Amino acid sequence: MTDLTLLGIAEAGRLLARGDITAEALTGSFLKRIEEVDHKLSSYITVTADLARAAARQADLELKGGVRRGPMHGIPVALKDIYETAGVRTTGHSALRQDYVPAIDAETVRRLKDAGAVILGKLGTHEFANGNMTPDQPFPAVRNPWNTAYQPGGSSSGSGAAVAAQLCMGAMGSDTGGSIRNPAGFCGTAGIKPTYGLVSRCGIYPLSFSLDTAGPLAWTMEDCALMLDVLAGHDPNDQGSAKAPKVDYGAACHRPIKGLRIALARSWHEGTTSVTPEMKKAIDEAVRVLKDLGATVDEVVFPDIRDYHICGRVIITVEAHAIHRQEVIETPEKFGYTTRRRFQLGAFFSAEQYVSALRFRRQLTLDTRAAMRGYDLIMTANHWGAPDKFEEPQPIFHFLGKPSLAMPFNVTGQPAATICCGFGSDGFPLSFQLAGRAFDEASVFAAGSAYERATGWRAHRPKL
Amino acid sequence: MSSPKAPTLEEFRTRAGLTGLPLTPEDIEHLHKGYVGLLELMQRIPTHWAWAAEPPQVFRADE
Repeated sequence: MTDLTLLGIAEAGRLLARGDITAEALTGSFLKRIEEVDHKLSSYITVTADLARAAARQADLELKGGVRRGPMHGIPVALKDIYETAGVRTTGHSALRQDYVPAIDAETVRRLKDAGAVILGKLGTHEFANGNMTPDQPFPAVRNPWNTAYQPGGSSSGSGAAVAAQLCMGAMGSDTGGSIRNPAGFCGTAGIKPTYGLVSRCGIYPLSFSLDTAGPLAWTMEDCALMLDVLAGHDPNDQGSAKAPKVDYGAACHRPIKGLRIALARSWHEGTTSVTPEMKKAIDEAVRVLKDLGATVDEVVFPDIRDYHICGRVIITVEAHAIHRQEVIETPEKFGYTTRRRFQLGAFFSAEQYVSALRFRRQLTLDTRAAMRGYDLIMTANHWGAPDKFEEPQPIFHFLGKPSLAMPFNVTGQPAATICCGFGSDGFPLSFQLAGRAFDEASVFAAGSAYERATGWRAHRPKL
Repeated sequence: MSSPKAPTLEEFRTRAGLTGLPLTPEDIEHLHKGYVGLLELMQRIPTHWAWAAEPPQVFRADE
């Protein structure tokens, strides 16, 4: 094996278990690559090299002694810098928290460490998972590894860039209005927003408490599944946490998909606004592949994409204001110029407008469920086309443009994954989403993994 | 949505004074554009709801 950073989590886990590689060597390879390459991307805010090496040595000792905690044992991963980490600063990519060092780990971080994962460091993010990365913030903007003049998507920007650039094997992101799937799509990785309530948010900076979800990005769907296997589970300290039965997501990746029924929401990505012709072609081809694998794919009409978009946006705007109100009053100058305005905007909405949006969410959830009757999955585009170039000033209210293709599944709470389905002539990845019923991540993993195995897209990596 | 008419910048400025936020004139101009833009999109949100149409809570695993 020449380059350990090209391994997937599943494969590396098997090699570690057999003693063919060590966690220390694996971790060392990633730390070396971070040192060599990350100055072009700025995906990391903090690299915890010493802690990572110590955790890797501990994993090797345990594995050598016959103790294997599971498939994440000895696997190097990284965290969006809104995940609290004991003894390691958690900045939120903001001047407001640039020196904040939490005393305890977020529940998800605790679970990863318990599973033997090695934490490499903390990753750049849109400020508090909301505002863009602007020059008035204390950390540089994360760059897209496929072309560094372009944005990597967000808000889990560092997570998408670091996974794609082989700077970690998996990364934690968060998704309130598409923040896992957006960078996963623009950086060409896999990623999954789990069902609302499946993964604890305790110890993660909130953006919108009734929509926030935490989940993994990795190079393949199977790698995301192995991460979700250790992340999922009830947490009494998160009031949104659900008590759902334990599912083996890693095993679900090897299920046959013959007979799986997929509802194609074409009207979302080819409606009043349309994806690029290359994206359309790639999605049509993905439909053909899924059909060849034995799935049925039918076009189904769902509520208008703009309904989900505005519903989710009002809820996020109001809840984000409630969370950050004190700081936008006391220290507004410490926010980036886009973040500050996005957090201020919620002050202008009435209680009636907010409650109407909540009621609309309920209605859209019921209507989506009704339209999905008889189907296991929904399929649609992940994003409209190429990412934006880095240009100043950046749009303050990005949501006034095209509707978000990710938002439907934030509004309904369903699990939704991003799967790479090719590359455009501009070199940027093309992606589609697969969404399942609430708590049916297993079907999403089954179809996503089957698609990845049937196509060659996972062999393409950005050149840095 | 029941918000009837988009406020003018002047009306919005008055309203901004009641929010308790320290806002610069530039902030107010940006926020006015953002609010009016969202208000237009909010036309899609129905105004009248049955009493039973309550917001969702956490999913029940047994649903």
